[in-house]
Amino acid sequence: MNMTIEHDSAIDGTYDPRADSVVEQHVDRVFSYQELARLDEALTMSSRETGLRFTLYIGDLGTPSRVRAEELHARSGGNPAEGVLIAVSPGQRVVEVVTGAAASRRLPDRACALAVLSMTGSFAGGDLVGGIVNGLRQLSDQAGHPSGHRRH
Amino acid sequence: MNVAETLLVFAGVPLAIIAVLALLIYVPAGRNRRPRYKPGQPWEHAPIWYEPHPEHGPEAGHGETLAIGSSVHGELHGAQSPDSHGATTARVVNAGPLGGARGTW
Repeated sequence: MNMTIEHDSAIDGTYDPRADSVVEQHVDRVFSYQELARLDEALTMSSRETGLRFTLYIGDLGTPSRVRAEELHARSGGNPAEGVLIAVSPGQRVVEVVTGAAASRRLPDRACALAVLSMTGSFAGGDLVGGIVNGLRQLSDQAGHPSGHRRH
Repeated sequence: MNVAETLLVFAGVPLAIIAVLALLIYVPAGRNRRPRYKPGQPWEHAPIWYEPHPEHGPEAGHGETLAIGSSVHGELHGAQSPDSHGATTARVVNAGPLGGARGTW
């Protein structure tokens, strides 16, 4: 299961902190609840609008960061061909966007590079969450709606 | 207006205002402060993996993310799914040619 579900229940008040104190310790150590809610909404809405599966990894990527990011992308759950992984390594100051085969038809490398550029601009200013949210917005705008579910 | 009253009005009142403003400015930052990320700092948190909510309830998302080092559930070492064709390692589906981009800051 994922972390975001637990974040949500923590936010909307149905979450009992005594039930799982380990999770409670970890949940808002890196980001505040407001930031977590922004990340959660950005991930969920961009995945829902585009039909692709956006996942976000924040942590160390090792020295060949591309190799590690592609390995993570293969394990990101769902159908990896439609998966888009945003891997941010703040310690190394590297961000990697990995798109699967089906996703890269709708998100060409040039669009990913543009989103990465806007993300790195925010990251350099110290705004991790804002950069990620803006990058997700750009990526989902570029990908558009899935052709089968076009809204009228 | 004697000396004491003069002092109270012309020194005490401005000092009180300054004290109130200082409290308002510095007290909220003091409690529950989370160190803000600055570029160049080492990142000492455990890796986190976020994934979107499944679209139609829990059954639509067969989202067993094999997240490495997720801070809640940890790594699923050698996790096997029923449809993995005898793979000994974690489920890795070939996603075809991968695209994407890389950036540094």
